[in-house]
Amino acid sequence: MTERHETATTCAYCGTGCGLIIETENDQIVRVRGDKSAPVNKGQTCIKGALGYHYIHSEDRLTVPLIKKAGEFTEASWEEALSFIADKLTGIKQQFGPDAFSMFACARTTNEANFATQKFTRAVMGSNNIDGCNRT
Amino acid sequence: MTKAADQHLQIAVGSDIALMNGMIKIIIENGWYDERFLTRSAINFNDLKAQTAEYPLEKVAKITGLEEKDIFAAAETFAKADRAMIAYTLGITEHHCGVNNVFDIANLSLLTGHIGREGTGIMPLRGQNNVQGAGDMGCLPNMLTGAVPVSDDAYRNKIESLWNVTLNPNPGRTQTSVLEQMESGAMKSLYVIGENPLVADVHKNHTTELFKNLDFLVVQDLFLTETAEIADVVLPAKGWAESDGTYTNTDRRIQRVRPAVPAPGKALDDWEILCRLSTKMGYPMHYADAGAIWEEVRMIADHLYGGISHARLDNQGSIQYPCPHEDHPGTTLLHTEFHDSRGKTAPFTPVTYTAPVELPDSEYPLTLTTGRRYEPYNTNTQTRYYPDTVKRKQTEETADIHPLTAEELGIEDGEYVSVASRRGEVTVKARLTEEVQTDLVFMSFHWREVPTNVLTIDEFDPISGTAEYKACAIRIDKLRQ
Ligand code: SF4
Repeated sequence: MTERHETATTCAYCGTGCGLIIETENDQIVRVRGDKSAPVNKGQTCIKGALGYHYIHSEDRLTVPLIKKAGEFTEASWEEALSFIADKLTGIKQQFGPDAFSMFACARTTNEANFATQKFTRAVMGSNNIDGCNRT
Repeated sequence: MTKAADQHLQIAVGSDIALMNGMIKIIIENGWYDERFLTRSAINFNDLKAQTAEYPLEKVAKITGLEEKDIFAAAETFAKADRAMIAYTLGITEHHCGVNNVFDIANLSLLTGHIGREGTGIMPLRGQNNVQGAGDMGCLPNMLTGAVPVSDDAYRNKIESLWNVTLNPNPGRTQTSVLEQMESGAMKSLYVIGENPLVADVHKNHTTELFKNLDFLVVQDLFLTETAEIADVVLPAKGWAESDGTYTNTDRRIQRVRPAVPAPGKALDDWEILCRLSTKMGYPMHYADAGAIWEEVRMIADHLYGGISHARLDNQGSIQYPCPHEDHPGTTLLHTEFHDSRGKTAPFTPVTYTAPVELPDSEYPLTLTTGRRYEPYNTNTQTRYYPDTVKRKQTEETADIHPLTAEELGIEDGEYVSVASRRGEVTVKARLTEEVQTDLVFMSFHWREVPTNVLTIDEFDPISGTAEYKACAIRIDKLRQ
């Protein structure tokens, strides 16, 4: 028999922030249910929270960095992709200054990722041009 | 929502200020406001009174399309309630006058003293799970981590010495203003994380041109979105159920998110990608895990998160900030100082009603308002993967039209029609419903097959930079056979 694991987490869709329990088997999500002990939703969810997880295991997920060469995406290693970006951004910063760069941050990723995003923008690029989709 | 309501005020799109000013006038005239609260805690009352005097019931009824008695009843119920709260979402903010709409909500709450006590207050319902957290972390052009302005010298200096860099003290550009800079060619490079602005933003055809104008575009996402397709480099990121960390919900509650499954292929955490890139660019950024990043957040913004560690969240569940130290229980209620000896005061900000920028005319006689539907999420890059076994109300976009309007146009339920504005045109299935008013059409932007934002107008609130997604003029025609 395959073993079932449970992970307590928070819904990634809307700002209500319902507590969810992810049930997994063999590293696959098999079910998501509301967390009865969560103060926000006490076990309830909407359709997105309980059934909107299938994208995670989709075949269409990006799995490797892609660099566009002559109009076509080609697969690249992290080393290659990040060196390429580092060169480009350094060049743009030197030639046009920090304000020629801007960052569209993500209102759905974690606080920790967002902290790193703004630290990169401010400390490395020297720019305050950072904004999220919090205006829409 | 309206089914659960005692009263449903179906106002004309964009007439919120007229309604609220009308209600404020009624409340003032009938003396239904909290006199004691007002004299102690509010400033500018006379200005508010003078401004709203110009909104007599008759005029408000005309602008909003409501019955006079309903407006009066709403004002009375709200003012006399022991506890009342205003919850709002994008119907308030996605207008050229979005900020003024919010000011008027604050006016109404302050006038009636419905703020700073349990069961009262103003609640902007946030669309994305972590839009609150992203802003609090400093993903805003004018705010540093901990919601302190970039112009605050002492706070900025503290971060500068921690990071060993000099930070720019001037606010940066909002997304809207970045788009303008892309138009003029001054903006050379853009890094987009987990967003699909080509589909989500107003006046889509124009936005696509602007993106193609960039010298260098990086997109970091879970999928090859429309925006990723035109990028120079695309980076695979981990998603929910794969990442570790915290989100902040709409009522300032910090909650844990935990990995349950491994990420596909070589996908990395958003933060790890940025750390590696920083290091490559000569600024080493290394963290053992998300918990280590959070410790730095706590160190910088101790006034908000000093008492919130991952360990404490794991032990006791979620905590609402501000929570400055480990013994602090967190804060469920803000603005209580309005009611006690600390004597907080706030000014009224009277505002004027302005009609939507593009009103219907003979050429484009209908109004389009856009929004979201129940099952899909934003540009549907994730919710398109519902399995077929999940019963859904809607699996393709529709133009929701009132039966009377449809009759005038000779359109039947389920028929494909052309919807056009001054900016573009889409073909979409008509859905007849009395959920919308006559001459008003509703559409969402969830399905890429029907890119609704080719229709919407690029008019923005001058302060927030939010676009007027909620109103533009359109026409609907039968498809030529
Ligand atoms: S389950 Fe539904 S209501 Fe709850 S946070 Fe998720 S999307 Fe929002």
